[in-house]
Amino acid sequence: MEGWEDCRGGAAAQGPEARPAPEARVQFRVARFIVEAGVNLGMRSIPIATACTIYRKFFCETNLDAYDPYLIAMSSIYLAGKVKEQRLRIRDIINVSNRYFNPSGEPLELDSRFWELRESIVQCELLILRSMLFQVFQHSHKYLLHYLVSLRNWLNRHSWQRTPVAVTVWALLRDSYHRGLCLSFQAQHITVAVLYLALQVYGVEVPAEVEAEKPWWQVFSDDLTKPIIDNIVSDLIQIYTIDTEIPLRPWPGLPKEKPRMVSCLGTLPPRRHDGWSPEE
Amino acid sequence: MDRDLLRQSLNCHGSSLLSLLRSEQQDNPHFRSLLGSAAEPTRGPPPPQPLQGRKEKRVDNIEIQKFISKKADLLFALSWKSDAPATSEINEDSEDHYAVMPPLEQFMEIPSMDRRELFFRDIERGDIVIGRISSIREFGFFMVLICLGSGIMRDIAHLEITALCPLRDVPSHSNHGDPLSYYQTGDIIRAGIKDIDRYHEKLAVSLYSSSLPPHLSGIKLGVISSEELPLYYRRSVELNSNSLESYENIMQSSLGFVNPGVVEFLLEKLGIDESNPPSLMRGLQSKNFSEDDFASALRKKQSASWALKCVKIGVDYFKVGRHVDAMNEYNKALEIDKQNVEALVARGALYATKGSLNKAIEDFELALENCPNHRNARKYLCQTLVERGGQLEEEEKFLNAESYYKKALTLDETFKDAEDALQKLHKYMQKSLELREKQAEKEEKQKTKKIETSAEKLRKLLKEEKRLKKKRRKSTSSSSSVSSADESVSSSSSSSSSGHKRHKKHKRNRSESSRSSRRHSSSASSSQIDQNRKDECYPVPANTSASFLNHKQEVEKLLGKQDRLQYEKTQIKEKDRCPLSSSSLEIPDDFGGRSEDPRDFYNSCRTQAGSSKTEKPYKSERHFSSRRNSSESFCRNSEDKIYGYRRFEKDIEGRKEHYRRWEPGSVRHSTSPASSDYSWKSVEKYKKYTHSGPRDFSRHEQRYRLNTNQGEYEREDNYGEDIKTEVPEEDALSSKEHSESSVKKNLPQNLLNIFNQIAEFEKEKGNKSKN
Repeated sequence: MEGWEDCRGGAAAQGPEARPAPEARVQFRVARFIVEAGVNLGMRSIPIATACTIYRKFFCETNLDAYDPYLIAMSSIYLAGKVKEQRLRIRDIINVSNRYFNPSGEPLELDSRFWELRESIVQCELLILRSMLFQVFQHSHKYLLHYLVSLRNWLNRHSWQRTPVAVTVWALLRDSYHRGLCLSFQAQHITVAVLYLALQVYGVEVPAEVEAEKPWWQVFSDDLTKPIIDNIVSDLIQIYTIDTEIPLRPWPGLPKEKPRMVSCLGTLPPRRHDGWSPEE
Repeated sequence: MDRDLLRQSLNCHGSSLLSLLRSEQQDNPHFRSLLGSAAEPTRGPPPPQPLQGRKEKRVDNIEIQKFISKKADLLFALSWKSDAPATSEINEDSEDHYAVMPPLEQFMEIPSMDRRELFFRDIERGDIVIGRISSIREFGFFMVLICLGSGIMRDIAHLEITALCPLRDVPSHSNHGDPLSYYQTGDIIRAGIKDIDRYHEKLAVSLYSSSLPPHLSGIKLGVISSEELPLYYRRSVELNSNSLESYENIMQSSLGFVNPGVVEFLLEKLGIDESNPPSLMRGLQSKNFSEDDFASALRKKQSASWALKCVKIGVDYFKVGRHVDAMNEYNKALEIDKQNVEALVARGALYATKGSLNKAIEDFELALENCPNHRNARKYLCQTLVERGGQLEEEEKFLNAESYYKKALTLDETFKDAEDALQKLHKYMQKSLELREKQAEKEEKQKTKKIETSAEKLRKLLKEEKRLKKKRRKSTSSSSSVSSADESVSSSSSSSSSGHKRHKKHKRNRSESSRSSRRHSSSASSSQIDQNRKDECYPVPANTSASFLNHKQEVEKLLGKQDRLQYEKTQIKEKDRCPLSSSSLEIPDDFGGRSEDPRDFYNSCRTQAGSSKTEKPYKSERHFSSRRNSSESFCRNSEDKIYGYRRFEKDIEGRKEHYRRWEPGSVRHSTSPASSDYSWKSVEKYKKYTHSGPRDFSRHEQRYRLNTNQGEYEREDNYGEDIKTEVPEEDALSSKEHSESSVKKNLPQNLLNIFNQIAEFEKEKGNKSKN
């Protein structure tokens, strides 16, 4: 966990004011691709989060130019499905990805090109596994849900019912995987920060917080400090700023051929195409 | 917009958020109207501050406020809700679904004063409380609450909160005596909150479950054991004994935390919908996700096009006559896409072509089920139903045939062929009834007459035959052999080779026996020809009358007559069959068209349908030619005798065709060689022919009668001659057996039986003629 600080992506290393570096933009886009593909594949939150984390982790260790990020992303999705016991079929992953890049196109034909792509994904999966050293990720989701239950019991039930805290934290947590927060911070810290932000947004106060010996967030995580929370909250908010700055879908002014996820087929390990970073 | 929620947020963040909201959301009409009203309390009296310490808590976090203002339309939308069901609170402590934690306030170490205050603020009627009886009075008992059983889970054990359970709320456990006598001080009691006096901090509880809300009504109130105490309370007690335990440690060591289903369980409990995942990113709003982009939809689409590709390949195979390959492709297509309509229709068409009409009907029906407007499926189904009906008619299952026709008509009211067939069937059924009655009378008469005359004539003919035998031993005219090929050996003959053998053997007999068994042979001619041509396309029916063949001239005479008479009829019949059989020809064409361009396909389908009505002759011709081409591959399929049969008939000239039609008896004979009707019990046979040939219309029937009578005599003569001239009876039998033995090898058991019967019969005949 300690080593994670080193893995902070380019964007996270930038101050909130600075524009994200090109590399961070690519990573952001690919993360969005994973999330969208995950939704289209009917993946649950944790497998999606795992896919994003695997992807991030892989490019922490590897130069972004070495591989096609979208192919790695597809393999990450496939691997995450295996790790988190939501078995996905490669054919579906390819179909959804193809649809993502060609929103109006027909599904790929099941020809040799298709099988090559499929083979590439499988090969990449092995590559990722080797680079990951088979480590397991702790996700915030489980913590978050338990924290929510505890908080709900302490809050007035009407104020809880009126306030969509649960939905908001879930959305914030899912969105947080657009950046490498999960690699930069402890899962518990992210969880608390997400909860903190949601309560702030709706102006919900934890009852008797002032009288308490220990603030609620410290109960959940002993080593958490207020500056850490502020840091994470700031990072979370910045995700939404990047979101508005980077056009994602549809890609305006993008060359016709699109991000060419298929173009990398057959060459293993696939070389990444660096065309795909339109500076607007 | 959720006004209350927005107000709550504004109360917390103050006017800075308000101004931010105004600038960020000015384009949003909802917010413009709302912000006006939301702004008012800030302008008027200062917002109420329910909790002390608000001033310290108000962090002017401009970053968060900016975030709120930017996402306000999402955050305060009415749809942005978790929909936690009220029933989710049942059995909170269902042990290891998730990590049940001690109450948060216990970790936060909140003073008792505040806890008590918050308890009385939050407790509600219908909540379940658990406490110990502290004292029992005549008006009820008091209990000290130790924990809560539903609603909010709070740490109240040390708050010394007492509740009264009045006597009227204690159910009596026996018929007599004081209900309170059942309870003792120190009992743990589960009860429902009945009344709350928040100001005086007094509670009244009830032991009747009517005090609980409906979703909790299943919970038993009254005395409980200490094991039944809620899990959260027990964990809380544990925590009290070791207050150094951290929240995280307890959570991590809890069995429920590692439950693989914990996330799903808690998501449901908290009302978060994973199938429609929330996001605060505009691009990830669920409205931006279309069903068409989902994996299942894409897979379906992909499978469908893959299957269609297979169908296309299959149709190509079909066109060049590789039916097995075509079938494989269709089956593959259906494996890929179980309910692929095109594959079903194509396979159905193939089945129909191969004569497996029932399977074809199944496929067409399934296709129509999946796509009720599929024109071809409907069309083919109608045609196949009518064809199948025709088959059934020939098998004399008239009622079944009728139901098939009717079914076709319900599918397509305008389907002319079905209507015609149905009408014809009805007419025919009526007529056959009448005929049967007439026939019964006539048979009686004929029987007596025939037996006498035939015996005389036999003798005469036998003599003549004997005389001629020597003369004509070598006079095998080529013409007669040709004619015999034409006329053939009758439907019931053995295999073609044996037929030939016998044919030669009896050549002389034949040339002399003038018109004997003419009808019979002609009726079977078509099948025999096919046999000669095509080498056993379907099982050869058993009828050894093949050996009793007759003169060419005679047959031709008769044929000529019949031709003239029946030519028109045949045409009509032909017409009946045509559209149906032409359908099987159209199928591949249609499919080719379809897979290339679906729109064209429909057009072509329509025009073809039209043309099939208007251009019958053309159609049928086309059909014939195609049949000739393809018949080779079909004829091996022994499964569909009738189909092949019909096809062959069409190969030969129309005049042969109508023999079959005119004499359904013989058809039946050929298709069901085992039929016991054909046991060759002498004269009966011809009767049967006339009897079972009631399709003939009355005047023809008259002629038939004539023919049969004649034929009858001559036949008998023939038999006699056969035996006498050729061999003494023993020899005749042995030669028979000899010729049969060659047959036996390739004939089924039932045919052999028939042969035996024939042999017996002839033996009898021989005896008769001697006498």
